[in-house]
Amino acid sequence: MTARVANRRIRLLIALFATVFAIALLRAGWLQAVRAQALGSMATSQHRETIEVPPHRGTIYDRLGVELGVGTRATTVYANPRQIQDPRAAALAVQQSLGLDAANVYPLLADRSRGFVYVERQADPGLAQSLQDKHIQGFGFYDEERRDYPQKHLGASVLGYAGVDNKGLSGLELQLDKTLTGTRGEKTIVKDPFGRTLEVVDSKPGSDGENVYLTLDHSIQGQVERVLEETRTRWAAKSASAIVMDPRTGGILAIANDPGYDANRFPDVSQDRQRNRAVTDTYEPGSTFKIVTISGALETGLVTPSTKFTLPYEIQVADRKIHDAEPRGTETMTTDQILSRSSNVGVVTIAEALGQTRVNDWIHRFGFGRPTGIDFPGESKGIVLAPEEWSGSTIGNVPIGQGIAVTPVQMIAAYGAIANRGVMIEPHLVDRVGDGQRVQPVRRRIVSTTTSDQVRHMLREVVEEGSGTAAQVPGYRIAGKTGTAAKPDGAGGYSTSAYVASFVGFVPAKHPRLVILVTVDEPRGAIWGGVVAAPAFAEIANFALQYLEIPPD
Amino acid sequence: MAALLAGIVALNVAVLRLNMQVEQLDNQRDELVSKRENIQSQLTSTAAAGRIEEIATKTLHLGTPASTTYLELKHRGD
Repeated sequence: MTARVANRRIRLLIALFATVFAIALLRAGWLQAVRAQALGSMATSQHRETIEVPPHRGTIYDRLGVELGVGTRATTVYANPRQIQDPRAAALAVQQSLGLDAANVYPLLADRSRGFVYVERQADPGLAQSLQDKHIQGFGFYDEERRDYPQKHLGASVLGYAGVDNKGLSGLELQLDKTLTGTRGEKTIVKDPFGRTLEVVDSKPGSDGENVYLTLDHSIQGQVERVLEETRTRWAAKSASAIVMDPRTGGILAIANDPGYDANRFPDVSQDRQRNRAVTDTYEPGSTFKIVTISGALETGLVTPSTKFTLPYEIQVADRKIHDAEPRGTETMTTDQILSRSSNVGVVTIAEALGQTRVNDWIHRFGFGRPTGIDFPGESKGIVLAPEEWSGSTIGNVPIGQGIAVTPVQMIAAYGAIANRGVMIEPHLVDRVGDGQRVQPVRRRIVSTTTSDQVRHMLREVVEEGSGTAAQVPGYRIAGKTGTAAKPDGAGGYSTSAYVASFVGFVPAKHPRLVILVTVDEPRGAIWGGVVAAPAFAEIANFALQYLEIPPD
Repeated sequence: MAALLAGIVALNVAVLRLNMQVEQLDNQRDELVSKRENIQSQLTSTAAAGRIEEIATKTLHLGTPASTTYLELKHRGD
């Protein structure tokens, strides 16, 4: 090779290297200058991630701090069907670990058109871990909070339910959702190629939901539910409800509906059973409603407890005949006796003297026809005829508790006013939120102390000598009223076989600490409030008095 | 210069390791808090009066106690 050729080849090689180097330099310049931002973002997204920190839902406690609704850790299991190599084996592994039916799971895991399917939301963490330990490709796991009701049946229709997304769907969970939920936090992390967190570069703290303390007492609630179940079973009734309230504060110690259900199984229960019927449903109260007319007549001075009336067994009111429950001759009764003996003729006579306008006023004054304001969603305001809708015969049935529909909570609030020396206190379920102040309910004077004392005396006689003797509790004086109301038959009249039996009363009679209402819907074998509901009242009262160590008057 | 650079790198690595440990401890704490809450919930469920009553009557065949009323009498100050 001549020197000339060699030199040419060397120059060619140098040119080649220089070209390659120039291309590399240009490429580096392009990547680091023009593509810098885009590539930087890609890198950041690969090693940085912003994670949401869900807040812990507040716990619902009873008045003694016993948990009724609490958030517990659960693990949600999901799958990417496109990554599952053997769907059949995977489904069997799910069956083994989580207890789900492989036949139901297999179609989900075999569906390669989807990249994400839930296998089970909020599974037990231990069971999910056993699946995770099998290291089957395609399954993923993340922690969630699941709402748990450890007392199961206790207060189920009151607590309501927080669904799979931990949002309140009914009951107190819905009413208090904002308070219980809290706010989400965020944190931005730097992670390594294996997904492990190296550093937290930014965080926005959230706040957990607040805990709520109710006025409910889990022991009294449990006892009330047991008594209701026994009562409903014994009388083959459709349903039963009861409320126990402290008339001095309006705090509800127990509110129960039977048949009940396990709060953890809320989605499987019919809507009818889910309702807190003591707040949302109405009934015609019958004779328990008589205190409205009697109280109004006493308060206005129209009558005194000893005012006498000559009362036949039956009277004509417009196109209707009103008579007493038990046949009798014409008798003279005092106002006192009219209520304690539950005379329909007597109450209607006083109502006619009071007049339609004033009777209607007293109905509204006692809180009927509007919600009580109890802190529970879906409260019914009841059904009260507007004054312009009253016919000639309305004065003959509304004062005796027919042709009007009330809720149990309205009725107990009214009797609470009589028990609390004429002052009605708004019934409530929440005692306090977190460490905050106790709830201060609305107070409203309905009747004077004198009138409430007089009515209380009459109601004592109902229990001591009248239709409510089955409500007696040894050693205590009770005041109360029985109610037996025929249900509407849907054809404009009243059924002769379907009744609502009720008893509402308070104890001790002189300084009441408890107001208790029991309603039994369509009992069979007996229909009378004094036979069906009064014994349930006695059983509940006996327990609560002993439990709360309330001495007799 | 080389020693300085090596020192800076070692320091950064140590900081990263500490951060990872802190994150792991954070996660452990969260897990322990959750476990405690789960146990508390199980405890409440186990101690529920309804459950105890059911076991007493259906499993142990114990009878319902007779109702006894206790009256507290007022003390006479004489």
